[in-house]
Amino acid sequence: MRVLFVSIFLTGCGAQQVIVSSQFPQPVVDPLPLTVGVHFSDEFKSHTFVDDPESKTERSWIVDTGLAQVNLWQTVLGSLFEGIVYLDAPPSAEAPASQVDGVITPVIADLQYAIPTQTNTSIYEIWLRYDINLSTAQGESVAQWSMTGYGKTPEAFMLGAQDAVEAAAIVALRDAGANFIVNFGQQPEVKGFLEQHVKAVNSESTRDEN
Amino acid sequence: MKTRFLSLLITIWLAAGLQGCVTASIDEMTYNVPELGIGASSVVILGRRHSSNYDTERDFVACVRNHIQQADQTVNIIEEERFLDHLYPWFEPRTAPMHPDAIAKLIAQDAVASKLEELDTKYMIWIDGSTERTDSVGSMTCGVGPSGAGCFGFGTWSDTSNYEAVIWDFSNQAEVGRINTSTQGQSYMPAIVIPIPIIAPVQGTACDGIGMQLLQFLSADY
Repeated sequence: MRVLFVSIFLTGCGAQQVIVSSQFPQPVVDPLPLTVGVHFSDEFKSHTFVDDPESKTERSWIVDTGLAQVNLWQTVLGSLFEGIVYLDAPPSAEAPASQVDGVITPVIADLQYAIPTQTNTSIYEIWLRYDINLSTAQGESVAQWSMTGYGKTPEAFMLGAQDAVEAAAIVALRDAGANFIVNFGQQPEVKGFLEQHVKAVNSESTRDEN
Repeated sequence: MKTRFLSLLITIWLAAGLQGCVTASIDEMTYNVPELGIGASSVVILGRRHSSNYDTERDFVACVRNHIQQADQTVNIIEEERFLDHLYPWFEPRTAPMHPDAIAKLIAQDAVASKLEELDTKYMIWIDGSTERTDSVGSMTCGVGPSGAGCFGFGTWSDTSNYEAVIWDFSNQAEVGRINTSTQGQSYMPAIVIPIPIIAPVQGTACDGIGMQLLQFLSADY
């Protein structure tokens, strides 16, 4: 009985933990004729957001998005480019990545959340901010830009706070994927890089035909 | 004991039979109605979710779909989630086309065009709106004692639904109809030992209203 009481007490004081796990749909895009290297840092692969309570009445939140981040970016990049090579380390002049046209490294710069008790609204929200780096195979930076993902879910009857935060995180991740696909080619430096590489690929294939 | 059980049964039966009042108004404007229905083509009903302060509820979109399909099973309606996944990322809140003219830009991409052809979508219906609690007053106290449990008090609240369904003809890339529905209702919850909910089916009435108008547009039998 005492054990039961203690365990109930501990549950009441424990953190709200959310493990975001989801598969993402295959994007419908015409792939770019490039092979890119992708580097996910250990921090990225195990990304966890921890928010400690500001008062004794609040509970802390732990939102683990690492697995879902990797699933999303593998799915998105795998569809956007003709070839993908996963790299264990970022490329450098000393250790360049082989057989790739460029290397993409996504970094999670920030994650913020809002729940109904904080905002007096009836929705759960998640914001994600990424720093994306596109470099050459030798590690020289070509383009760096920030992009966001936003997701919200209405407070639903019988849907617990953890499920609602997870649902908002999945919407935010889908939005981040959509944002990347739509805006990747619009970055001025990326545009130049793509034109240069697509031209090179086209002239190579013309040479092969001759 | 038997009398008490009987009175409980009567209370539950009364509560189940009682409903709050709902007032509804529907405006409809459609043109180029397919007189013979949509045949073997399909329709998709999607909720708008780009606004910052509300989302069109997924269960409302599903309710409208079910209303149409229960009345006429020959109308082929693609499930919202299936369509969104099938055409990811082009119908996400960030990327969804806001005007029918944007369809041309979408189908300029070979991959998108072939997916849409596969689904054979004739009409795309966008539902925008939500149901909100506009007012609530009253209080209720519940307690448990050695002789039993019970509640005492009174609560009342009002809900308002506002939805608009916009019909796009996918093949002609044009808007062919607009249906607006606005419903309000007052719900009550008196409690003398047992709370008796008298719920106004505000969202359900809006769903039936939009569903029936869409059914008349899509089905050859209505």
